[in-house]
Amino acid sequence: MAQSIDIQGGGLFQIAEPEAPSKRRRKPGKAIGIDLGTTHSLVAIAPNGAEPRVLADAEGEVLLHSVVSYAGSGAGSGAGSGATTGQPVVGRAARALAVEHPEQVLSSVKRFMGRAPKDIDFSHPYRLADDAQVVRLDIAEPGQPPRYVSPVEVSARILEVLRDRAEHELDDDVAGAVITVPAYFDEAQRQATKDAGRIAGLEVFRLLAEPTAAALAYGLDRQGRGEHGEGLFAVYDLGGGTFDISILRLREGVFQVLATGGDSALGGDDFDRALAGHLLGLAQIDAPSPAQQQELMQAARAAKEALSEAEVTTVTLERCGLGPTQVSRAQLDALILPLVKRTIKASKAALTDASLAKTELDGVVLVGGSTRVPLVRALVQKAFGREPLADIDPDKVVAYGAAIQADILSGSEREGVTLLDVVPLSLGLETMGGIVEKIIPRNATIPISARQVFTNYSEKQTGMTVHVVQGERELADHCRSLARFELRGIPRLPPSMARVEITFELDADALLTVTARELMTGVKQSIEVKPTYGLSADEVDELVMDSLDHAREDFAARNLAEARVEMGRVMLALRTAIDEVGAIEGMLDPTEREQILAALVECEGVMQEADHADPINEAREQLEKRSEPFARRRMERALRSGMAGKSLAEIESALAEEDALDERRGAHAAEVIDPQ
Amino acid sequence: MTTHSSEDAASAVATTHAAAGLPRLTVTPAAAEIMQGQLVKRGTPDAAIRFGIRGGGCTGYSYVFEFSDKPPRKNDEVITAANGVRVYVDPKSMIYLEGTTIHFEKGIRGHGFQFDNPNVKNDCGCGESVNF
Repeated sequence: MAQSIDIQGGGLFQIAEPEAPSKRRRKPGKAIGIDLGTTHSLVAIAPNGAEPRVLADAEGEVLLHSVVSYAGSGAGSGAGSGATTGQPVVGRAARALAVEHPEQVLSSVKRFMGRAPKDIDFSHPYRLADDAQVVRLDIAEPGQPPRYVSPVEVSARILEVLRDRAEHELDDDVAGAVITVPAYFDEAQRQATKDAGRIAGLEVFRLLAEPTAAALAYGLDRQGRGEHGEGLFAVYDLGGGTFDISILRLREGVFQVLATGGDSALGGDDFDRALAGHLLGLAQIDAPSPAQQQELMQAARAAKEALSEAEVTTVTLERCGLGPTQVSRAQLDALILPLVKRTIKASKAALTDASLAKTELDGVVLVGGSTRVPLVRALVQKAFGREPLADIDPDKVVAYGAAIQADILSGSEREGVTLLDVVPLSLGLETMGGIVEKIIPRNATIPISARQVFTNYSEKQTGMTVHVVQGERELADHCRSLARFELRGIPRLPPSMARVEITFELDADALLTVTARELMTGVKQSIEVKPTYGLSADEVDELVMDSLDHAREDFAARNLAEARVEMGRVMLALRTAIDEVGAIEGMLDPTEREQILAALVECEGVMQEADHADPINEAREQLEKRSEPFARRRMERALRSGMAGKSLAEIESALAEEDALDERRGAHAAEVIDPQ
Repeated sequence: MTTHSSEDAASAVATTHAAAGLPRLTVTPAAAEIMQGQLVKRGTPDAAIRFGIRGGGCTGYSYVFEFSDKPPRKNDEVITAANGVRVYVDPKSMIYLEGTTIHFEKGIRGHGFQFDNPNVKNDCGCGESVNF
């Protein structure tokens, strides 16, 4: 019975262990953002709401080459022992060893993250273990038995260097990290990245899509239009070796990736190669030596960078025997035009995938060092019909966004941001009588999912309005209304027989998805809302205090509402019964019928008058007592007709089913769904 | 918050400083001893016990009765028993716990704590579900 507030369990109690508190020890301002890139990686911090800044190594270098050298690290160890005697070398020093130890110096391992050997469809200079489920790279010196490392371990080495850099800067342990991943990374690739973080001794607060990080760095999350803070953005990311285009939708402070595209083998290095090829032609060399090749590439890169500022630059190639030669921006543009056009084509395809016209975009963000090339900017501007956002250093913008997100997750307060990873106010829905049923309690750690089964109130009910509310008060009117939708197509079933399962799923970005599903027919309806959107910390405090101030009257109001609902249910059932069987002889004599009808009228009056639950509950008890003989006769009749011609076993099994049903109906407390 | 006059101030061993001397929550000496013993056994002799209700609606309210390793929250009421054991109650729960006595029962149904709550109006008979 649900007519009043129950406390479950009047028996004996044991002291319980408190529910496991969030493992995360918040240390505001001690979290870092990491851009774990294919060619370069960076670490940035934005402590306690400060502007983000990237951290440099002892030489003042902020970009860490994503290269790890195991050369010599296993040398001298006995065959098969697998013991590592030296530490792997990371970064520039590792890259310097690459020519000498091509198989022990690993670069661009990001391409192998979370992949199986059969997924590797690009060329690379490494030996892979082919028996494994996941890629493992053989780093043994020539003539030695195989020694394998996984891409996860290699990435962990890079992350360790960045973590050390941050701990040196913060003069403290790092509380946690946000690591960026490409938007197209699948679950396995994301998990591999998380694992790498864990091996590096980092608590990975969250993985963040690289384009989303760039958008956060520009503060685009706070620039949405309209009531729901909406916006559409394109993020054009041209790095050294990869090109990614992402179309993002902003809604209520959350970015959603609508479409991605790109080319995993197209980047600024290809610009260098194109220019190097041109210079090679000028030097009239057919087959350059490795030394000449190195000189060419360095000169080409330097010239490309110079031409981002100047119209003309001078190149001299001593080893190739090329005297001072002028290269103009127009020449470079002509050489790289086909390459840049490929990125534009992919960008347009991504827009088409997202079913958008370029005019619908609210902004375009440039990411990656190669977007400094003037031709790239010009063609992007032309393709999207607007000037791209480029005032943040395109090499650092992703790390900045990660640092801002990490700072928020560490518990810092930032202006205009209330996104925390606990639920600031309870989330629930309105049930009969305007009563709030809380599904996800306040301060639950997100992500979290919970579900609860609801039932119908009357046989005529074929739809259910799901009204999602937020707040601590007992009545929906006093809570914040978040969303409302209708589930239609509930089969006609006697009261309390239909089963509608409501699921609340709050994801890591505090985006709430509410789904209602009728369990018999499977009809389903869902809606997405952002519960933290537009609430400041002060407002949250106020709403919580409000619920304390009103606690007593809220309980009274809730009791009253519940008493009304229960009274209504009993009256409806009685009226239906009178309509159905009242005419059958011997079921209800006229006097009794009059008495019950009079009692019903009286109850109606009490319902209208009462401002307190007690008189309604008393009137309902009177009504139930008054109609009890009628109910008993109906029951007996039903039993007689039901049992006619049935065996004892059938009756027993029917009763057992009824019991099981009762149990199920009773057991519909909100249940937290285990993420596993 | 308005004061709610509680039932007979029986063996009051723990009272709050507020509420005009009326015990808002009572912990019997036996119950306090068991609590202390369990806190020691758990290795946290200085921790407290949280007592409250949670839930609502047709799911019913249920008692919360658990160890608390943290300091009390801002609006919690802290009840200190004669032997020093502390019980935290949040203000919202206190509305429906006011006047409750926490006993320790050793009986045919096993050993455990029992809450004698005057706010509970009727008992469903099985002892598992109660109404206010």
